[in-house]
Amino acid sequence: MNDYLKEIPGLVEKIKSLKDIIITNIVLIGQTPAPTFKEKKRSKIFMERLVEFQVDECTTDGYRNPVGIIRGSASGARSPIFVIAHLDTFYERDIVHDYTIRENTITGPGILDNSLGVGVLASLPLIFKALDLRFESDIVLAGTIQSIGKGNLRGVRHLVKTWPTPIRGSVCVEGIELGRLNYYSDGMIRGEIECNISEEKGVMHQFTPNAILIINEVINEILNLRLPHRPRSRIVLGKISGGANHGKIAYDGTLGFEIRSDSYKMVKSIYNDIKDIVEGIRHENEVELNLKTISNLRAARLKFNHPLVKSAAAVMEALQIKPISKSTESALSIFLSHKIPSVTLGITHGENNYMENATMEIEPMFKGIAQLIGVIQAIDSGVCDEQQLA
Amino acid sequence: MGSSKQLTAGCAMNSNWLKKNTFHYSEFKDIVRLVDEKTKKNLRISLCLPTLNEEKTIAKEIIIVKSELMSRYPLIDEIVVIDSGSKDKTRAIAREYGADVYRADDILPHLEKFKGKGENLWKALYITKGDIIVYLDADIKNIHHRFAYGLIGPLLLKEKIKFVKAFYDRPISIGKNKIRPTGGGRVTELVIRPLFSLFFPELTQLLQPLSGEYAGYREIFEQISFPIGYGIETSMNIDIYQNWGLEVMAQVDLERRIHRNQDTKALGKMSFVILNTFINRKVQLGLIKLNEDMYDEMIQYNLVDNRYEPDCLKIEGHERPPMIQIPEYRKKFGISEKSILKPVKA
Repeated sequence: MNDYLKEIPGLVEKIKSLKDIIITNIVLIGQTPAPTFKEKKRSKIFMERLVEFQVDECTTDGYRNPVGIIRGSASGARSPIFVIAHLDTFYERDIVHDYTIRENTITGPGILDNSLGVGVLASLPLIFKALDLRFESDIVLAGTIQSIGKGNLRGVRHLVKTWPTPIRGSVCVEGIELGRLNYYSDGMIRGEIECNISEEKGVMHQFTPNAILIINEVINEILNLRLPHRPRSRIVLGKISGGANHGKIAYDGTLGFEIRSDSYKMVKSIYNDIKDIVEGIRHENEVELNLKTISNLRAARLKFNHPLVKSAAAVMEALQIKPISKSTESALSIFLSHKIPSVTLGITHGENNYMENATMEIEPMFKGIAQLIGVIQAIDSGVCDEQQLA
Repeated sequence: MGSSKQLTAGCAMNSNWLKKNTFHYSEFKDIVRLVDEKTKKNLRISLCLPTLNEEKTIAKEIIIVKSELMSRYPLIDEIVVIDSGSKDKTRAIAREYGADVYRADDILPHLEKFKGKGENLWKALYITKGDIIVYLDADIKNIHHRFAYGLIGPLLLKEKIKFVKAFYDRPISIGKNKIRPTGGGRVTELVIRPLFSLFFPELTQLLQPLSGEYAGYREIFEQISFPIGYGIETSMNIDIYQNWGLEVMAQVDLERRIHRNQDTKALGKMSFVILNTFINRKVQLGLIKLNEDMYDEMIQYNLVDNRYEPDCLKIEGHERPPMIQIPEYRKKFGISEKSILKPVKA
């Protein structure tokens, strides 16, 4: 057993002694709104916190991702380890980002996705100091911007693509769920189908079409698509909106969907099928019906027996956390597609994700942080160095 | 003031104060410097949070201030919660996050018991140990440690300053979890500012005289009386001004404070108490004479089943004497009766 594994359970109580500061970071960062494309204020606070905790360097990259670097003892000789969390949330600025702390919970918009992750990231320099932990590699703490929805992981794509040195390994930090151990990502395309019924003069319809019914027709056609069992594939119809009021024909409608598959080729093939459906319905109904891509990811994975996956599972086991592996459509895939061994970890348990009353549990968080530290130690001990990705 | 000849405020007031004694919290951002100054002066600083059913916000206030100004930098020495008898979990949560929690009724229990913010602030003087006391309302939704260090800064770094008040933008939280960018401060603009303009024009320079966040030296607070309710801020401003002058006062821009929106009726009650306090102060100071007693009930009306029904609030207007006059306090802080000095206006 590696030395760090033996010591990991003992870290939990020590991390807990920093509870005030960790929670303060989560709240100060989380109460600063950061809708995608408008992350500047949160980015500033994140950097301020890193500076206060005396990281060796703090800057933004060319895409304005805030980055803090803790220099390692073999800085230069060893490639850096990346620990990242996305800064942006689903909530607009005019929503009160007011967090409520109770005895064992914190509640507020965006806390689980991903203010908690960013708050923990900002706390790491202090935690490392308090635990007297030093690493050979530089530790790069990055809060990535423009990740979710239409952001399409632009921040992390740029960060990884332009980083001047090889990257030894990375950990992506998400608020929930403690126990997740993501090491592969499906191929994915997110798209939106928009229907607009023209109200312009000169456009004549025998019967005015209803955008909601058009979208309904699209849905029915999509549901008629036959998806293969291998490679595993599926279409998620995740978002719908349209119309103005109860008694008026809807002039607009939008459907948001996501195609996922083990194979990106299959994702593209299904996307083309949907494109054909959209074009057919547009032609038949003489309406404006458009399909656009919001974001896409190629499938990428570590093997389940990759040393990083095995070490991460061992760390979790040492903390009595049961690892659960699922695909994730997140920054992980960007690292993996650059052949950088990576995993995504969750920090605690929570409920009401994507709602304004999203709630995290405080107590399990300390185990979640210990687990994160264990995985960073594993990477620093060389588990990503032995076996390159195919 | 004679009825035939009115003074012009512009002539009467010392307008330099606004420029000289108005600060921005960022001027005191260097917390290490504040800690050094505190150590050099051998001072202790207490934070007091008066509460009544504040379970939603109390933990956040305690944990952020504790983290930043106790754990990381030893600027504040104690956080004390004085509770008016909350029915929710305020006290348990405050204790869980490390504050010293007291029920107001349990402090100096032999005295007649009153309920109100002023009562809690007054009793905090007996409980706290600090030479400087910082009072923050416990319902600040966007609490940040600047609320504390911004108020402490001028007290430590500016020689003459003995009392500091906060002002800020006041976005108010409205329905459905949305905020609107401006608003709030209606009682200030409709009640207290006109009164100050009429009677104490220099005090109009306090941009938010009713803000619930202020800090000062114990030697000031212990020598003024405390109305038990909403009138505390009004009387405090007037008393400190009357006794020590504007030069010991300062105000700090804390930028943004999100607070609960209150309906017009609630503001009406608040205004009633403030007017009551103000007029009583004028009488006590011998500045005006009332030919008859004032009534002590605020009367508002509700429409119930097509009938107007009165909604009466009795304000008893109790006021605690200067804490220094309380023997237990003098004993606890080793103050001899002889050493009670009368404040002198600067």
